[in-house]
Amino acid sequence: MAWIVEDRLKAYQPARNEPYLTAKIKDEVSRKYFPRYPNKRAALLPLFHLIMHEYGYIAPQAIDEAATFLELTPSQVQDAVTFYEEFRLEKTGRYVVNVCRSISCELCGHQRVLEKMREIFGIEPGETTADDKITLLEVECLGACEQAPCALVNEDLHGRIKPAEFCSQLQQLPAAPGHSTTDDVR
Amino acid sequence: MAYAGPVLLKRIPDDPAQRKLYRYADYIATGGYASLKKVLAMLPEDVIKLVVDSGLRGRGGAGFPCGTKWTFLPKDLFPRYLAVNFDESEPGTFKDRYLIDHDPHILLEGIAIAAFANKISTSYIYIRGEYHHEAKLLEAALAEAYEHGIFGQKHPGTDIVSHCYVHRGAGAYICGEETGLLESLEGKRGWPRIKPPFPAVAGAFAKPTIINNVETLACLPAIVEHGAAWFKTMGTPSSSGPKLFGVSGHVNKPGVFEEELGIKMSTLIEKYAGGVKGGKYRAAIPGGVSMGVLGTDQYNAELDFDIGRKYNVLGLGTAGVIVMNDKTDLVVMLRNIVRFFAHESCGQCTPCREGTAWMHKILNRIVDGFGQPQDFDMLAELCLTMGAMPGTTICGLADGANWAVKTFLQKFPEDFKSRLKSRQVQGVAGAGVA
Repeated sequence: MAWIVEDRLKAYQPARNEPYLTAKIKDEVSRKYFPRYPNKRAALLPLFHLIMHEYGYIAPQAIDEAATFLELTPSQVQDAVTFYEEFRLEKTGRYVVNVCRSISCELCGHQRVLEKMREIFGIEPGETTADDKITLLEVECLGACEQAPCALVNEDLHGRIKPAEFCSQLQQLPAAPGHSTTDDVR
Repeated sequence: MAYAGPVLLKRIPDDPAQRKLYRYADYIATGGYASLKKVLAMLPEDVIKLVVDSGLRGRGGAGFPCGTKWTFLPKDLFPRYLAVNFDESEPGTFKDRYLIDHDPHILLEGIAIAAFANKISTSYIYIRGEYHHEAKLLEAALAEAYEHGIFGQKHPGTDIVSHCYVHRGAGAYICGEETGLLESLEGKRGWPRIKPPFPAVAGAFAKPTIINNVETLACLPAIVEHGAAWFKTMGTPSSSGPKLFGVSGHVNKPGVFEEELGIKMSTLIEKYAGGVKGGKYRAAIPGGVSMGVLGTDQYNAELDFDIGRKYNVLGLGTAGVIVMNDKTDLVVMLRNIVRFFAHESCGQCTPCREGTAWMHKILNRIVDGFGQPQDFDMLAELCLTMGAMPGTTICGLADGANWAVKTFLQKFPEDFKSRLKSRQVQGVAGAGVA
């Protein structure tokens, strides 16, 4: 829900010396995204997509760094970032399983997917497995209703899910620590 | 009424095994970009007139005439922007995704035509964040288009260079509302703006901006190729042309199907979607959940832009039909719909933020067996007081929520009333649960 204020204490993380906005990210934004818009602020969403892709979540320090980079105040950046559901402020497991819960998926049995996930991995929506491998989330319509029930695993859409098959697919994914990009899933 | 075959889906066969992605070369080989070439030899005013004459209405939900929208641009204000609405977050809607999955260049050609007609300097394709695959497809298609001079060139007879970029959203339904989309494009939270000023005068970056849906723009190449009169041979007098219908829910063969506007819903379900699955037809949502529900006796409703007036729903919306069979618990389904709106309300206007949340609470307690006799009337009353149409909110999100609730209550009252009990009957279990 876009307007729920995140608990700032929970979001607290110690600062680190190494910047989140690496030279690579800054370079990509300056080269690719700044020329597209009349001002720097408009590059905020592309910038945070890059950060999400790199780290899998958004650290408070990244917000401060982005503010300096985009010539905005930290509160302006915070205001925008906390609005969007895809920009997560907390760390997740390596694979984020976004199960769609909207009407077509509920009609076609998204509950059975969640039940199977609970049975196999012992997690409810919002929780992460103990080995930090899988985070389960329920999301609103993924725009793939003809493939209901469907889920987005990191950046890949899985449609016409058969719960048991889907869970065994997830089990077979490599469990190396850290955040993954879509390249590992394929 | 003369629909001779697919127009928008002409490159996408029915058989899933034969479907493939059309890259630039394939697109050219099947007659692509011929319409753009034709347009570039015309006067921009004539292109706008052609679109006005075709009667093309916006495919994104509101059904506003596309050509008329274009004429709202102030004469001498530049630069002008085009925002392509590919946010497609309405539950039950997936037609644009399906189209772009296979034929991204049909959209790019449409954008190029619209950009030329309106002397647009930059077009932004606002795509929802969850469409990772489609964003990559469009980026690749755009690279091809730039390479072949579709974009990055001056519009003939002007000094305006035409650009086109992909801009990804990040998971917010409200960014599909046109001014919410513009805020998001500017790197802000997607709170809809108060109108006026209308986007045509002061839109993206406070410059004149047109916002069109993907499917609307994808209609343009065909209109240019065959003419306005041809386009009007399809559909009904007030709703011309072909339309993509997405059918999902309890049907045997869910998917995206193209037909002319005005087709009966029963035909769509039986001829194209393989009939109702797991039981008999009970209810259907004609075009995304915000449009309300069609009752059991409205199975033969004609799907066109007049549907709202004729069948007591909000409108055709995005034509994402969601079918429910006779074993469906409609109260649970309405709770699902209302939860969606409560979750996606941006929180800017109090009636919507509070109203959708309360509707969700009330429906939750009805589903859980703690519904109270006054709940039915309370839901109905909430519907009357929130939304842009009673004039208490900025955008139409709350209208979507209250039309869904209103039509469910009107068309299936017994489903709700049979679950409401007095406090005494509930006994101890109901005490304290309000």
